[in-house]
Amino acid sequence: MSGRAKTSIAVALGILGITAFTLLFLELEAQWAIAVLAVATVVALTAFRLTGAAARLGAAGAAHPRGALGIALGMVLVVAAALHESHFALLMLATVALYATACLGLTLQFGHAGIVNFAGAAFFGIGCYTTAVLAAHTPIPHLLVIVLAGMAAALVGSILILPILRTRGHYAALITIAFGILFKTFLEVNDTLGGPQGLKVPAMNLFGWSFNEPIRIGADFEGSFYLNYVFLAVALAAVAYVMVVRLEKSWMGLAFDAVRLDETAAAAFGIDVARWKILAFTLGNLLAGMAGGVYAMMTGFIAPTNFTFGDSLIMVSIVILGGLGNALGVIPAALLLLVLPEKLQMIQEYRFLIYALLVIAVLLFRPQGLLPRRMRTYFVRNAST
Amino acid sequence: MLQRSALLFVSLLLLALPAAAKDSVRIAFIGPLTGGVSANGIGGRNSADLAVRVRNAESATKYEYELVVLDDECKPNIGVQVATKAAADRKVIAGVTHYCSAVAMGTVDVYHKFGLPVIVWGAVLPDVTSAHDYDEVHRVNGTMINQNEVAAKFMAGLKYKRWVVIHDTTDYGKGHNKYFSEDIAQQGGTIVGTFGVTADQQDFNAELTKIKELKPEVVYFGGLTPIGVRIRSQMEKLGIKAVFQGTSGIVSDAFIEGLGPLAEGTLAFREGAPAEKLPGGQAFLEQYRKQNYADPPEAYGAFAYAAANLIIDAIEKVGPDRKKVMRELNATRDHQSIVGPVTFDDHGQNTVPLITKFVVQDGKWLVWEDSEYAKGKRKLPRS
Amino acid sequence: MDFGLAGQYVLNGLMLGVIYAMVAVGFTLFFGVLDVIKFSHGDVVMVGAFVALATFLGLQDLGVGSSIALILAVCVTALAATAVLGALIARFLVLPLRGSPPLNTLLITLMLGLALREAVRLFYPNGSNPKPFPALLPTDAWSLGNFTLRADSLILLAMGITAIVGVHMLINRTRMGLAIRAVAQDPETARVMGVNFERVVMFTFALGSALAALAGVTNGLYYNEINFGMGLLLGVIGFSAAVVGGLGNIYGAILGGFLFAALQTIGAIWFAVPAYKDVFAFAAVILLMAWKPTGLIAEKSAERV
Repeated sequence: MSGRAKTSIAVALGILGITAFTLLFLELEAQWAIAVLAVATVVALTAFRLTGAAARLGAAGAAHPRGALGIALGMVLVVAAALHESHFALLMLATVALYATACLGLTLQFGHAGIVNFAGAAFFGIGCYTTAVLAAHTPIPHLLVIVLAGMAAALVGSILILPILRTRGHYAALITIAFGILFKTFLEVNDTLGGPQGLKVPAMNLFGWSFNEPIRIGADFEGSFYLNYVFLAVALAAVAYVMVVRLEKSWMGLAFDAVRLDETAAAAFGIDVARWKILAFTLGNLLAGMAGGVYAMMTGFIAPTNFTFGDSLIMVSIVILGGLGNALGVIPAALLLLVLPEKLQMIQEYRFLIYALLVIAVLLFRPQGLLPRRMRTYFVRNAST
Repeated sequence: MLQRSALLFVSLLLLALPAAAKDSVRIAFIGPLTGGVSANGIGGRNSADLAVRVRNAESATKYEYELVVLDDECKPNIGVQVATKAAADRKVIAGVTHYCSAVAMGTVDVYHKFGLPVIVWGAVLPDVTSAHDYDEVHRVNGTMINQNEVAAKFMAGLKYKRWVVIHDTTDYGKGHNKYFSEDIAQQGGTIVGTFGVTADQQDFNAELTKIKELKPEVVYFGGLTPIGVRIRSQMEKLGIKAVFQGTSGIVSDAFIEGLGPLAEGTLAFREGAPAEKLPGGQAFLEQYRKQNYADPPEAYGAFAYAAANLIIDAIEKVGPDRKKVMRELNATRDHQSIVGPVTFDDHGQNTVPLITKFVVQDGKWLVWEDSEYAKGKRKLPRS
Repeated sequence: MDFGLAGQYVLNGLMLGVIYAMVAVGFTLFFGVLDVIKFSHGDVVMVGAFVALATFLGLQDLGVGSSIALILAVCVTALAATAVLGALIARFLVLPLRGSPPLNTLLITLMLGLALREAVRLFYPNGSNPKPFPALLPTDAWSLGNFTLRADSLILLAMGITAIVGVHMLINRTRMGLAIRAVAQDPETARVMGVNFERVVMFTFALGSALAALAGVTNGLYYNEINFGMGLLLGVIGFSAAVVGGLGNIYGAILGGFLFAALQTIGAIWFAVPAYKDVFAFAAVILLMAWKPTGLIAEKSAERV
């Protein structure tokens, strides 16, 4: 069999497998079915890797990035359409997309530029609260509100970056942790933003189309209203993904990496370390804030306890588990970490424990994460042999 | 596309294979199963579970009921998440929901959005039913308005004049603060200080030091058991000798367990009678005992039981359809239950006229009239 | 200014300060010896408190009456158990990750902290409820106007200070302390000099964890209550205190601990709503870090370029 045929088969199998997995993972409820799915997935993945099909798939994707993105979006559409009636499955899909966006922002911050951010949930929260206030009290169109939410998060981040710039490593981590706790405590104590009771957020309204209306096509098709949010969230995630990947490949990405790997050497080469750190941090927070805005509108309710240190840890874990610095890894990691606890009901109570142990195991035995970050290839070699 | 649908169809078919003789109907139960007030949540869950079991065991019931239990952790955002989960599941027909008022406030919109009829079993904030016109939300227990009225009259009757109010900053605590402050002012009492605290606060030394300076006779506490325990024990440490007066939030065994002998002489007020004095109470407790649950029904278990039964009655009558059940529940008038006749007014609120006064004596919550304090054999502290 | 009231605030601040200082010293020890932030430290404090409670309940069931014997047994068991836990953490989780980026160690210890918290919540009977901690110390109180001094607060304060001083003397006056300082300064040379690196690291972790257990017991005795979540905030505060004081420096940790407690107390008095004290304290920490990036007692470090 020629190399191209093998690649085509690998790609086709890959697409089918991923779509089927996602669909079944989101839809199935029975515990034994999930267990069967898990086993089947592991077997399939191992087989895929051992036969070299995984490598072919990866190479094909790298060679045709736009095509790959288009196919990926198509797969998501298929999954969404198949699940068009299940409210909760769609809610999870949208949540995964939004968290993936926020975590892509975090990847930019510490996967590329090396700034540890333990307040991811706080910036997400700034986006949420800005949206809540602006959408409920001003006539600003909602799409603009989302952008403003992102900018608010970026603005607060740019204030926080000043002490971060002056510190290194652990000290910088402390500043973000302190800020995260400060944010949550401030929200709880302060009544103007709802206090511990939280705030209600109006639904997204795009050019008169309220996102809380189900989609009706013809007499038979009634899609859950969450479909609207799924489309928006996936669109946002796609934009974020493209942005992060392009940044990485560009000279800006090189500058980020230089800053992360060795600040002194980077400075010696004339790279303005402060400027790149500020850029990465601000961009990352922009993404997190925008994701937060959409999330707030989707769930309709936010409270300070949504944005605790634990939630920031979940985001950091997603980034690490997916493979630090690899934008693509964020997606399966988010899917696993956000959806698995919901699915494994019988261990619902134990989920945090198992989940912590899992991350520990990964960190001990496979610290590069699920999809390790690849080195940049500036000269793409032909994938077919 | 065909492949995926086929796969889905086959897997769903496999899941549906073990079909039961009766059609299965799901009812959701949502309460705080973990965290500081979990004792109440678990009591409620056990009671709802008891209701479902008892009805399933009867051959006359048309459907097989399944209780879907969800934990809201007494946090509004988690409550909204699990409420969305329950409401989004089309197989869930109705819900027995919430002990924590803060959570109940957050979730009303969710139930309305999805059209899921629910009956609240433990939250006492009036706004949960009165602040909106949603037909989906009902409540079988009373609200804090009556509770605070009676409390104010009673305490004024005991000749206390100076109060300090500590309340948690959720809508629950704020509601208590609002109603009690109004009521006590009407009775001629003075509130010398009001302090808002967060629901998970550990250290109250700052507030209590200020309170000590103010020298109140009574410390009124509007909040739940975990911080009630902390405040009372830290009051002791700072040498504040005042009566500790609480609300329905602290009427639980966990409060006494947490304080030991310090709980002695604490007053509290709750709507409804203690379980054993309810019309169907003895029978309920007897059945509860038979099931050998590891935990007691606590203060609101009977209400959860009544709520579950109301829902089951409705489903038996009109079938497992959310809209029909909702209409049936809205039409509830003088429906017999173990907590007495239940009538939902146009806001879905049941009127529970009786308010019981409790005092802790020798490690147990006793009805005031039965206690030695009422008879004058023991005295409450005065500062 | 009511001196009684002021005195009360000062006493509150001192108590908090001693607890934070004990936790901060632990952080600083771990960092000094291995350049590692062990974020599970706060939860080790919590585990220590729970072990103490369990021991107490167990001994009570066995009918042991005498107060002093009870306190000693409870303390010794808690300290020993957490020391072992600390050594195990060092051996299996921290030492193997020596070569990887420090973020990984930070993360793994964070997750470990979460695992410890959940384990206690799930496996300790009724773990998710707050548990009353027995009042083992005499509770006589003396009142001077508005100022109430309780015997147990005084004893706890004395105990805490003695422990910190004890650790300090151990580090500076004993051979083991010398080995710890050597490893902290330059691990390679220390090994060349015959110091058993692994053993020293494990001992340091055991020591820090034992101190954490003491902090947990103190916390339990002070508030008369423990719950499974108490370690999280304590850990963050301890870490902040250690960092603000200057990582790697015991004096810095002690300074940081008392400073944070002072900030919280000032915040509590200043603001009309005392709940703002945490916001104020953490904001102050961020500002302090901006002013003095390597802590108040700056870390002396040379970096190879």
